Amino acid sequence: MASRTVEVATGVPPLAPEREVIWPKRAKKQLANGLEVILAESHSIPKFHGELLLRSGNATVADRAPGLAEMTASVLRSGTRKRGSRKIEEDLRRIGADLSTQAGSDVSAVSFSGLSEFAEPLLDLVQELAREASFPEADFERERRQKLEEVKLNRTQPSFLANERLRKVLFGAHPYALVSPTEAQVAAYKREELQSVYREFYTPQNALLLLVGDFEPQEMLKSIEKVFGPWSGKKPEPRTFPAPASPRGRRVYLVHVPGAVQTQILAGCHAITRKHPDWIKLGLTNSLYGGAFNSRLVMNIREDKGYTYSPRSAVNALRQHGFFSVSAAVRNDVVAASLTEMFYELDKLRSLPVPPAELADAQNYLSGVFSLSLATQDGLLTQFSNVAQHELPDDYLETYRAKVRAVTSEDLLATARKYLDSANLQVVLVGDRAQIESQAALFGELEIFDAQGNRI
Amino acid sequence: MNRPHIAIEHKKLANGLHAVVAPDSTAPVVTVGVYYKIGFRLEPQGRSGFAHLFEHMMFQGSANAPKMQHIKLINSSGGVLNGSTSYDVTNYYEAVPSNALERVLWLEADRMRALKVDEENLKNQRDVVKEEVRVNVMNEPYGGFPWLDMPPVAFRNWANAHNFYGDFADLDAAHLGDVQAFFKTYYVPNNAVLLLLGDVKAGEGMALAEKHFGGIPAGGAPAFADPTEPEQTEERRGHVVEQFGTLPAMAIGYLMPKRRTADWCAMALLDQALHGGRAGRIHRVLVQEKQIAVDIEGGVDDLFGYNGPTQMTTRIMHKPEYSSEETLAAFDAVIGEVREKGISADELEQLKVKWRSDYYATLESGRGGYMPKYGLMHLLACFTLFDNEPQLVNTILDGFLAVTPEEIHSVAKKYLRNEKRAIVFRTPARAGVKEAA
Repeated sequence: MASRTVEVATGVPPLAPEREVIWPKRAKKQLANGLEVILAESHSIPKFHGELLLRSGNATVADRAPGLAEMTASVLRSGTRKRGSRKIEEDLRRIGADLSTQAGSDVSAVSFSGLSEFAEPLLDLVQELAREASFPEADFERERRQKLEEVKLNRTQPSFLANERLRKVLFGAHPYALVSPTEAQVAAYKREELQSVYREFYTPQNALLLLVGDFEPQEMLKSIEKVFGPWSGKKPEPRTFPAPASPRGRRVYLVHVPGAVQTQILAGCHAITRKHPDWIKLGLTNSLYGGAFNSRLVMNIREDKGYTYSPRSAVNALRQHGFFSVSAAVRNDVVAASLTEMFYELDKLRSLPVPPAELADAQNYLSGVFSLSLATQDGLLTQFSNVAQHELPDDYLETYRAKVRAVTSEDLLATARKYLDSANLQVVLVGDRAQIESQAALFGELEIFDAQGNRI
Repeated sequence: MNRPHIAIEHKKLANGLHAVVAPDSTAPVVTVGVYYKIGFRLEPQGRSGFAHLFEHMMFQGSANAPKMQHIKLINSSGGVLNGSTSYDVTNYYEAVPSNALERVLWLEADRMRALKVDEENLKNQRDVVKEEVRVNVMNEPYGGFPWLDMPPVAFRNWANAHNFYGDFADLDAAHLGDVQAFFKTYYVPNNAVLLLLGDVKAGEGMALAEKHFGGIPAGGAPAFADPTEPEQTEERRGHVVEQFGTLPAMAIGYLMPKRRTADWCAMALLDQALHGGRAGRIHRVLVQEKQIAVDIEGGVDDLFGYNGPTQMTTRIMHKPEYSSEETLAAFDAVIGEVREKGISADELEQLKVKWRSDYYATLESGRGGYMPKYGLMHLLACFTLFDNEPQLVNTILDGFLAVTPEEIHSVAKKYLRNEKRAIVFRTPARAGVKEAA
């Protein structure tokens, strides 16, 4: 609650009429081998951005080992049957391109950007990585050691420790509970396991190629047919996992980091996927709560009270389940005070209708930020990629702003009551037990862990 | 070669404010920036961290837009906003749907004309800044490495050598009088540039700039402290303890030539030969071939935006089984090779293509996906404030593309010298690590 009267601005110029977004021309095609292709023109600079998306990720093979898809993606760029690591990197530089390979819970991807004048050699390298990666033994060992050090380093990062614990608490036995392998699991990775994942995931029937940028679509399609046409392979067996139970009752999980000069708060509960009809309503609710600089939580615990630099909330969409979360890194002596305000603002949204002016402001915000995200090649790619990854309807982007505008105060109240589940919010605190344990215990039954994840 | 050309209008208003408009109606959004020519390098002595604390104060209220209103008005117009403090400039920027352009200009003009803050705002933002320092530095593995660790080791002039985020004692000592004096001295129109990029016509943009900013009175010409360093004649070394991480780390910084000299262009490409991603020589040799390092990164912090002594810095995280001296020896072998042989014409050609590609990306790209043209804004601002020539954005590339292998070899010999470098070792507090000699 603001302890200071908020004054209003005087003499603010009104907004002019909004200009329509001009949607880029798009082309869609499915190649005979099953590869889906989506192209969008954007001629802002003589470059293009692209993504080869494989619809399988760490969760798909979590029963073999956590993080296996990510490790596969890391080693993938180290060599093909035709090119060694050094040649790959220098060839990329020679055509002015950037490329990265990664995997999340649900997807793996080769992301790239480069000059339009060298589009075909870049596409050719991408297809070579997707079809003919050789997983050289020495590169595998090097990447594994790097991964080991990364896993160790993660355990010294408050934000990682908080996220790891929250995902365990929310997702239990579901693969979404795992955000990182352990050192022992990395040490046990085998090159053959990576090769199996590679053979299963990296097939045209499991893939989507997205390109946004400065090109002529028909010519680009011809290049794609030529380069990716000979690729073959089947769709992997789909995997589903039993839905995780939503934790009942508010609990507090303290990850003890001796000497921490600040406490990382992260709290969350189950929510929805992007496909869910309530997604836009929840997005708007989130932006009012803590999803924007102007949101209630930021104004309260940062601008009014000065507890934290970086409070925020988010709706996190995984393919099968989503979760809502709120976080802030706060002074040790205001952990209880910060949590009190977090719950206060949640409960206020659950109890009182949002005033129409505040709703209109939030609608303007989401609608405007959406327009901003369409102004660059990279931003457009991200939007198209989201639509594809979450299997959203074809008109999702075109109708998004109208759907945001249609949300009412009553919708928001119902949405907050349904999803901002303050009574069952799971609270993770990463900090020094001696400084914060008594504050933590005020908010629910307390469990304490060390940074290695052991109960203490 | 298809090179983008940026259309630019530039005008200096009667009060000394530069106005730059770069129209592009592709998307219905506009990015607005106001850059002030003051950064943390030249903040007042005894007030380390003040330039950054002051940046926070600029969001705390102005004559007609009291506390919280600035942020509220931008977000509720569908826009995003932020500010940042760097060595020699501080910027404030907004990206909004273009129908909110005039509102943004009104807000920026209001806080340039009359910042209105009180003790309570100052205390509030001092608390916020302390949590910012804790989250980014004190409670974070390798926090502040090397951007806060290197200056006190590398430099002798307080301007270049102090703690830019601020000692907490200095932050606590800052009072409202400091805020007002800093504002009056540096936040004057004649020490700033206004930038409008995107969906606005040149004439309309200039008229709006005049309408909202033209009436702000000019201030005195700010007096700037001299950031010149005494000539460095010996390698400098320093040690910092790493409280959280387990990998030993080091950063090596070499002094850069002055901006916009022929040496500067050659060093920029040499920097890419050394640090340009996984094809860069340091990554290739230390991470991929010798496998001494787990990760390396490096380069010049802000090639176009520095206006005082600066370094090209390599940051190395290495395996604990290699000592610091062994790691440094491997690094020195890479440096020794370019000093001795330079680089091949073929390597330089690769670097130029990549440089051109990266430059185009800078012209278009945003920050975090939601600040279109942030890169272009920054280039235009620096070229205006430091060179009085925003048109450089269309020609600066020529100097880089003209660099020869001989020039690369020459700058390698001239600048990559031990007596022109400083090294910071960041050593884990946890046992089992071989110490540097």
